[in-house]
Amino acid sequence: MDAATKGAEVAHEEHHDEAHDQNYLQYEPGIWNWLTTKDHKKIGIMYAVSLALVFLVAGVLAIMVRTELVSQGETIMDADTYNQVFTMHGILMVFLFLVPSIPAILGNFVLPLQIGAKDVAFPRLNLASWYVYMIGAIMTCAALYFGGVDTGWTFYTPYSSSTGGGVIWMTSAIFVSGFASIFTGLNFIVTIHKMRAPGMTWNRLPLFVWGLYATSIVQVLATPVIGITMLLLILERTMGIGIFDPALGGDPVLFQHFFWFYSHPAVYIMILPAFGVLSELIATFSRQRIFGYRAIALSSVAIAMLGFLVWGHHMFVSGQSAISSIIFSLITYLIGIPSGIKVFNWVATMYRGSIWLQTPMLYALSFLFLFTIGGFTGIMVGVLAVDVHLHDTYYVVGHFHYVMMGGSVMALLGGMHYWWPKITGRMYNETLGKIAVFLIFVGFNATFFSQLVLGAKGMPRRYYDYVDRFEALHQISTYGSYVLALGLFIVLFYGVYSMFFGPKAPANPWAAATLEWTNVAALPDPHNFVRTPLVTRGPYDFHLADEVFGSGDGVGDGQAASLDVPEPAPAAPEPSEEAPQNA
Amino acid sequence: MATDTTTDTPAAPAQTEVDLHDEEHLSHLQHHFVSSEQQFDSAKLGMWLFLITEVLLFSGMFVAYAVFRQWHPETFAAASQTLDWQLGGLNTVVLLASSFTIALAIHFIQKGEAMKSFWLQVGTIALAGVFLVVKYFEYTSKFEHGVFPGAMFDPHGVAHGVDYGALASYAYAPQFFSIYFVMTGIHGFHVVVGMILIGWIASRTYRGHFSSEYYTHIELSGLYWHLVDLVWIFLFPLLYLV
Amino acid sequence: MSHDSHHIIPFKTLATVFGALIVLTVLTVVAAALPLGPLDMPVAILIAVAKASLVVLYFMALKYDKPVNSLTFSVGTLFVVIFITFTLFDTAFRGDLGDVSSQTVDEITRQETEAGERQQQFTPEQMAVSPADYEALQNNESAADTTTADTADTE
Repeated sequence: MDAATKGAEVAHEEHHDEAHDQNYLQYEPGIWNWLTTKDHKKIGIMYAVSLALVFLVAGVLAIMVRTELVSQGETIMDADTYNQVFTMHGILMVFLFLVPSIPAILGNFVLPLQIGAKDVAFPRLNLASWYVYMIGAIMTCAALYFGGVDTGWTFYTPYSSSTGGGVIWMTSAIFVSGFASIFTGLNFIVTIHKMRAPGMTWNRLPLFVWGLYATSIVQVLATPVIGITMLLLILERTMGIGIFDPALGGDPVLFQHFFWFYSHPAVYIMILPAFGVLSELIATFSRQRIFGYRAIALSSVAIAMLGFLVWGHHMFVSGQSAISSIIFSLITYLIGIPSGIKVFNWVATMYRGSIWLQTPMLYALSFLFLFTIGGFTGIMVGVLAVDVHLHDTYYVVGHFHYVMMGGSVMALLGGMHYWWPKITGRMYNETLGKIAVFLIFVGFNATFFSQLVLGAKGMPRRYYDYVDRFEALHQISTYGSYVLALGLFIVLFYGVYSMFFGPKAPANPWAAATLEWTNVAALPDPHNFVRTPLVTRGPYDFHLADEVFGSGDGVGDGQAASLDVPEPAPAAPEPSEEAPQNA
Repeated sequence: MATDTTTDTPAAPAQTEVDLHDEEHLSHLQHHFVSSEQQFDSAKLGMWLFLITEVLLFSGMFVAYAVFRQWHPETFAAASQTLDWQLGGLNTVVLLASSFTIALAIHFIQKGEAMKSFWLQVGTIALAGVFLVVKYFEYTSKFEHGVFPGAMFDPHGVAHGVDYGALASYAYAPQFFSIYFVMTGIHGFHVVVGMILIGWIASRTYRGHFSSEYYTHIELSGLYWHLVDLVWIFLFPLLYLV
Repeated sequence: MSHDSHHIIPFKTLATVFGALIVLTVLTVVAAALPLGPLDMPVAILIAVAKASLVVLYFMALKYDKPVNSLTFSVGTLFVVIFITFTLFDTAFRGDLGDVSSQTVDEITRQETEAGERQQQFTPEQMAVSPADYEALQNNESAADTTTADTADTE
């Protein structure tokens, strides 16, 4: 790390001279200025703090669930509480954490920096998104106060139209926080279309931007449907409009269609930006041009589109028609193709690269391993006949945790470590980082691989109790979850520590080649770029070593000493000079 | 990707042909945009994206309609008969006219005739008001005969040759009226929002905030209002006619 | 330099479009009054789509606008169609999971062909069945095939 710091020192100094001696954190300090800021970087941080809190709460709930299941019978809570706890774990994790996670934190912070823009297209809408999200979070608390929710995160009717006092509040919370998601998605699409710096063509967009673009499409297209679904559910409870409740002549399976039309694409809202993060990490830490740039970029869009055509695979045993089950199952297999293309390309990027095993890269490697398991188990539950056996078992629970936690959260953690120096201006402790990633990886597999086995043996999900033969595996799962939690708490610890006591970070500690590293000061300027950059090369053109990256011989063996920091992109000509160009 | 040549300056999305020195004095240009052209295009794309979220919001109701209609065609045919197609048709014409006026409002602001544009916006609001009044009479005539959405559905009586009592013998009539009230209710809510929006825009037009150079808000409100019309274009035949 | 997004649509075009919309509204009311039977719905939808296209292309000026806006709107509409179609794949065929039989498809086809051939040997009068025949038939075939008996019962 020290050597890398030295290596990057030069670029850092240059920037320092140009900057007005102020960074975005010093600019307009104070609580009120933060709460009314339109700076995408600060909004990203506000989201990060809120989401960290939600993740903490939801994580504690998960630990409670696992602790309850460590032995048969009542361990720490009664069955009703258990129902509420796992429901809250699911709702918080899915709707309030995973859906916003990477776009709202890293997307907000990094997207304008990566495309060379001063801000997102609609800064006020961006701030509104955070406020709407917070209103949703408050309404979630209200739902707890008014009797809690025990429907599971899926709110299936008719149970959800008759149970508990908190359902209306909770569904309203999801309705409201959906707007936060729409605002973010809308903002990003417009930003990517209209705000790119000169020379930032579509083929030069960093792949994280492509991932966010695909995500935003899904957010804009899918989220309104969960809105109308929640609205109809609320009307069902208050006025008995009878669309979903069979007792009133409605159709409960129709609710599942509505719900999954959003919630399956929502899975891609969670994983697509993770793909983007991963492309950044793999390319940077392999010091290699990404293999199959276009394939990775377009497969994200393909997944976004195909993701809308498979929602029925959640409903194979719901009583939907056989013909639709067959169609949905077939299209589900197709999703494997673009996902496979991505994994292949990442591995191919690492091939003959000089891999530098820093913490972010370790997360990326964990992702590759865990996501692949998640993907393959996904194809298995997409098989009609197999799904009849595995539906609503721990196998499904294991599968989606491998994708959501092993995929999305791993990428988020990797991305947070990667961009941490840019966000806070400080380095985290690399040794603790490596210990944490090891604990998380081991703990995660202990927790969820045992659940795959449990499910295959027939343990149903959401059950409070179980028979003897499941006890050993449940215990492995629970103890694994403690290791996992320990790892995450270490991250929290050294993260907070580094914010105050960490060594100052150079402008480009990873010698990465994208704009946020090459053309932005260690702590970004309030307006991001002192001068708008002129983009003249692709985001991962590490093969241009000699010209751009300094001496060519050092593209080495993963030793920090051999890192050559790419030179910044030139500044774009002043707009006024550009004026007569084409009048 | 071609090797690095700094002289090679590809087409720059953020660059426009507008002279920046003039632009910098424009009060409406926000600092993070390069030109008002870029700002306008961004706003418009944003609006279209918002419109498709609206379309998908309504699509949920259309799916519910399609599903229940396909299951219970006779019920839907019979229940549809009790809706007054004349009032529905009148409202269709009213909304189309309001779309026409707001389109003209944009036409005239583009020509720089702000006051004409203002009065056309007022006209649009007035027509929207007419729409809501007609809708009010339709709703009350249904409520009088116990035709409520959902659990309170208790049809009775005969009025204007429509036998509401007969609805009770159709098993899924409540579903039709639930869908009818929710669809038209959400649509009506959008009409109200549109009236407030255009009211705000109209007051700004009156105060001279807009010109042929800068009329983004009017154009975007117009787009929103056309979408409200668009939804009704589908609601009218589906609910009142077939 | 003309900007597509700033195209001023002539008054005449707007007025013509408005006129066309009114005509189409009248047309859809008339079409609904005609006894078109199963065509009722397609015709109504078709006219509505025509009206919607006019509004989108001219009033909303998508015809003169940047392609990306058209793309946005088309993608949105496409997904509405997907939503409706894929849901109808289920609801229109709901219950086909119950279309199961202990026989293979070949057996069923063979039986159907045989029954068809048998049918051609008789005139309609000969095929009339009285309650007495029913009992005789049941005694003969009660052990033979439960599946066909079930079908007969439900009908």
